[in-house]
Amino acid sequence: MPESATDERQFRRSNDTSIGVELELQLVRARDFDLARDAADLIERLEKRPLSGAVKPEITEGMIELNTSIHDCHSTLLAELRATRDVVVEEAGMLNLYVSGGGSHPFHDWTERRITPSERFNALFERYGYLAKQFTVFGQHTHVGCRDGDEAVYLVHMLTRYVPHFIALSAASPYYQGEDTSFQSSRLTAVNAFPLAGHMPFVTDWPAFLEYYETMLNFGIVRSMKDFYWDIRPKPEYGTIEIRVFDTPLTVERAAQLAAYVQVLAAYHLAERPQAPARAVYLVNAYNRFEACRYGFNGEMVEPYAGRKKRIGDDILETIAALAPHAGRLGAAAVLAELAEVVRHGRSDADDLRAYREKTGALEDVVRDSAAQWAGRAAPGT
Amino acid sequence: MLLGYLPQFPPALTQPILFGALLAAGLLAGEAARRYASLPRITGYVLAGVALGPRVSGLLGPDALEVARVLIDLSIGLIVFELGFRFDLVWLKRNRWLFAAALAESVFCFLAIHFALLYLGFQALHAASAAAIGTATSPAVVMLVAHDQRAEGQLTERMLLFTAVNCIFAYVALMLLLPFLRIEHAVTWTLAVLHPIYLLIGSALMGFVACVVMLGLARWLGKREDRQFVLLVALVVLTVGITRALNLSVMVALVVLGMLARNLDRRHVLMPLRAGYGGQLFFVILFVLTGTSLEFGALATASLAVAGFIVARFVGKAVAIYAFSRATGLRRRGAGLLSVALLPMSGLAVVMLHDAQSLVPGLRQELAAVVLASIAILELAGPVATQFALRRAGETRPEPRDA
Repeated sequence: MPESATDERQFRRSNDTSIGVELELQLVRARDFDLARDAADLIERLEKRPLSGAVKPEITEGMIELNTSIHDCHSTLLAELRATRDVVVEEAGMLNLYVSGGGSHPFHDWTERRITPSERFNALFERYGYLAKQFTVFGQHTHVGCRDGDEAVYLVHMLTRYVPHFIALSAASPYYQGEDTSFQSSRLTAVNAFPLAGHMPFVTDWPAFLEYYETMLNFGIVRSMKDFYWDIRPKPEYGTIEIRVFDTPLTVERAAQLAAYVQVLAAYHLAERPQAPARAVYLVNAYNRFEACRYGFNGEMVEPYAGRKKRIGDDILETIAALAPHAGRLGAAAVLAELAEVVRHGRSDADDLRAYREKTGALEDVVRDSAAQWAGRAAPGT
Repeated sequence: MLLGYLPQFPPALTQPILFGALLAAGLLAGEAARRYASLPRITGYVLAGVALGPRVSGLLGPDALEVARVLIDLSIGLIVFELGFRFDLVWLKRNRWLFAAALAESVFCFLAIHFALLYLGFQALHAASAAAIGTATSPAVVMLVAHDQRAEGQLTERMLLFTAVNCIFAYVALMLLLPFLRIEHAVTWTLAVLHPIYLLIGSALMGFVACVVMLGLARWLGKREDRQFVLLVALVVLTVGITRALNLSVMVALVVLGMLARNLDRRHVLMPLRAGYGGQLFFVILFVLTGTSLEFGALATASLAVAGFIVARFVGKAVAIYAFSRATGLRRRGAGLLSVALLPMSGLAVVMLHDAQSLVPGLRQELAAVVLASIAILELAGPVATQFALRRAGETRPEPRDA
């Protein structure tokens, strides 16, 4: 699509540090808590309900994607997420379906998945084969607004340093295909398989980025910016950068907290420009990312600017402390304090999911409890 | 005697030989139906049964039925249990129109058949009992087609839910009609009234007791699929056996067991049912043997009545489903497909008819023959209809290509 490719070169200006969220959610059937295949029926019902965001189909039929509108602060984002969640849960109930967060469905069998019939998804299945079905994993994509492309490129480089934070804070996929993976987040492994996964190259400004993009277009490797499955990527048509490493958390509250964390980090870096982009960030990235996926808060990361190892949880706490002035300015101080509390307790969503399994040993109970938690009812007995 | 160790010739057709032949014939016919005629496998099983049965080759007689009794009981039991297990009260509470729609489907279908038969000149009470029997969709057929096609989705779920409701409706309606029929035939009031009460309450109670035992034992066994499957089989066979010994209704007891197991399991001790586990084996046996007992007799003599019965039954179901489709949130086009999917009739109706006949000796043979012929047609055409509907709805999974 040459038109859209031209559009993509224009970075749409958007409100500095505005935020928006896309959540990929699991649709499970009440009978056995396996993934359902009723996304189309649910979306048809939701079209009749007034929603401020949007609900869209995803690559396989047991997934839906919930998009929020654009927000300037955490509180309105959370209010919208709650309202949308309630409508989605209610309509799903009419079809005898539950909705659940979490980065992976604990026991679904990927060979059973069916591709949502649409031109785009069929093309992805044609191209990627089984990877497309294995891509039935669930992430939160968080957008943060930038004024121009240079700012976006700068912010991608800056936020990459915090990728292990994002992974550890959102980790919610300990189970995969019926097994405990021993990871806190197993979802990113499914993303890693794609040829254009990874990170943005080390370019210094928007023209340099466009030059790279142009080259990739001319090579015929990509056809649009959508083809980059990077952890953090610029999204010029929205005027944002998009962070894609979060697992979908178990609650909308956590989803909004994570978005607030991104917002305050972006505000801090754009206002103070404390560091210049450094190649070292990308040297340590793969290692840090693995540690976060495997061990969560207890993983160790290499702090690329100081060049020394730290516990990821400790680095998050120090970062939150340093962000205090900007958090206050954006009305997010209380939210970040809540996140810090999660880190201090060392209990992520992945730990919650493992606790659900402890109760009976059965993975359907994990889904039952996480669906209850998503609906805003506390999971029983925890 | 020289060579006395040799068997007589030809060797006797022992039961294992017959049984193995039955399985092989069913399997091959089912596969042939699918490959060469794009028909559902069940239709092949049933046709194999017709071919082996007394009306054609006579290889399988009533004694074959006795051999396979336990297996038939088990397969019917498991099917009806699963049907009940899919009956989710939480869903009905959230989607209240759904239960109304299911009930309306039964009521409209009953009335439509009833008036059609009245119009054709049958007596009111007899027409009503035939209508009650005709209301039920075959649980075995819809369940097998759903399993066979690995159907998943809203239409499949509704088809199974509506089937559960119309089966229970049919049985209860028949039980309510029986006293009047029997009074006509000079049975005392107390006997006429007490017997259906015994059947209904007794069967439901049986299901309840089995459910309490099942939940208790499942809790003790823990959440392990292998153990729970054996527990399920054991309790289903036991329930079928005891229910039969007490002259109660197997269908009601097992549906109640399934429903209560799903809805009383507050602690979630039961594992969800998963298909497989030799299910195909049970289905082959069940449908081949059903095929041996099909009666086409009335087709020649009363084809108009048979056609009226079948058309009225479909129209009744379709009208109700159309009327309620929007309120229950069924997709566009879904109503027509659901009406088609609910067409099958089978063994359950035969059982109900025989029960009614044994209690009411005077139930006119002519009417019974009409019902039996309709069953025979819908036993063969029903699976085709259900498979077509589920495929059209996009809820089936394409067959892996044959090598």
